[in-house]
Amino acid sequence: MRERVRVLVDGDCRAPLRVYNDYISFFGEVDPATGTLKAVGEQIAGVALAFRGGRGSTVGSYVIYALKYYGREPSCMLVEEPEPIIITGCIMADIPLFQVRKGFLEEVGSKRAVLVHEKGRDYVELHFE
Amino acid sequence: MYLTREQERMLNGEFGWVVAKAMSIIVKTGEALGATKLVEVAHAHVSGVSYSNILDPGLEFIRSLLLGGGRARVYTTVNPGCVDYSGLSELIDGSYARKQAVIDDSLIKMGFKPVFTCIPYYHRPPAQGEFLAWGESSAVAVANSVFGASTNREGGPLALASALTGFTYYAGLHVPGNRVARVLVHVKDPRVRGNPGALGLWLGYRVREIPLVRGAGQGLADLKIMLAASAASGSHALVVLEGVTPRGFYSTDFVDRVEVEWGDVEEYIGTEPGGGSVLGYLGCPHLYPWEFLEVYRQVVKRGVLPRDRRLLITIPVEVFEKHYSEVLRLRRLGVDVAAGTCPVVSRLTRVFDHLVTNSGKAVFYLSKQLKANYYLTNTLGVIRAVYGERAG
Repeated sequence: MRERVRVLVDGDCRAPLRVYNDYISFFGEVDPATGTLKAVGEQIAGVALAFRGGRGSTVGSYVIYALKYYGREPSCMLVEEPEPIIITGCIMADIPLFQVRKGFLEEVGSKRAVLVHEKGRDYVELHFE
Repeated sequence: MYLTREQERMLNGEFGWVVAKAMSIIVKTGEALGATKLVEVAHAHVSGVSYSNILDPGLEFIRSLLLGGGRARVYTTVNPGCVDYSGLSELIDGSYARKQAVIDDSLIKMGFKPVFTCIPYYHRPPAQGEFLAWGESSAVAVANSVFGASTNREGGPLALASALTGFTYYAGLHVPGNRVARVLVHVKDPRVRGNPGALGLWLGYRVREIPLVRGAGQGLADLKIMLAASAASGSHALVVLEGVTPRGFYSTDFVDRVEVEWGDVEEYIGTEPGGGSVLGYLGCPHLYPWEFLEVYRQVVKRGVLPRDRRLLITIPVEVFEKHYSEVLRLRRLGVDVAAGTCPVVSRLTRVFDHLVTNSGKAVFYLSKQLKANYYLTNTLGVIRAVYGERAG
């Protein structure tokens, strides 16, 4: 499946898709040293993390930067609603960031897939298992 | 994006790599948000300066900006760090003091004003319509909603980049067309109004679009509590407050109208403490001097705190310096006053069974971190609870 996206921070990405259908405050809800999303106790390191958008603390940008520093960062991120805290964090950490249309997260849901994006393209490809 | 010649020269490295890096963060973030130009800011407020939050990666980033020649190009204030600058607090853990000192030293040498507070509007109230680049989500909400200034919820590094360049991107809440309230929220029940922390949490969790709140009360003390909570549990950077937000700095186009009832906010207030150790907490956001003195009067009237009960109050460094004798008096009664920090950006030295606070933001961040039960009430309710007085 090919899905058009708005590229906010460009870069190559090939990683298993992980959909978290909620907003994330990177500060408080993500442990940068281990790359754990605390609410579900799951790793976000090395995945294509799709979520609704950011919330909460403005320290979030530093937490995204710290994820990269500790080598626990997602391979790329997809959000429905982009906002400055996440964009700035992804720019600093050089993590590709894409905006997806509303409803995308629900459609894909818990299906297992690998997400591929090539730098310069305006879409991502989903390879379902 | 359109850049002036000066801005282009900054971006191209003619002012050094620090300015170029800062400019690139602003331009790229702005482009992602659809900005077509940059605007000058009157005041930058830098969040993300507490070592316990940003750890070594953040410390090294900030240090590198100083060593690379970064200097403030605009009036800039700094958020709380993770140590108590009064040196008197027993409850705030001081073990990161040396790391925090490296961050503070870098910020001060870059020319930032070391106020170490989350209420920068105490030091410089923004003017209506002024462009700001503020981190610290609670301060952002107060600047937009109470003062009628404009700032987006900038991430810590972006506010820092604005401090070093004097610019931010023109998008989001800087654009009048984006300051439109879509949901009318009506507060009728005085119990809801009387618990601004819980009302704020509800707003953040339940309302996604910009709300206009009717009947929330007018006092800045309560409003900053409500706005801080809604900025933590949701992402509200602007909550139009009827009778408070200056006219002309927002418009309305309602798609939904709701009334908040007591039953809606009740789920956020937790439970009153029974036995066990209790930590009362006031000062998230930091207290103004007049708020601090009111708490002081209420506490002094009641005397020494009961055993196993502590009250923590957090204030700006300047308020501590002005009211040193009151702080010492409070300490003798068992009250811990910390300056320039707060438990959200630091760690506590001991655990408590129950947290009692007036701050929905503190509940949002601390209840998970401390694994304590919590009770969310108003200022007087906190004081009553730590003294074991019955509510009502």
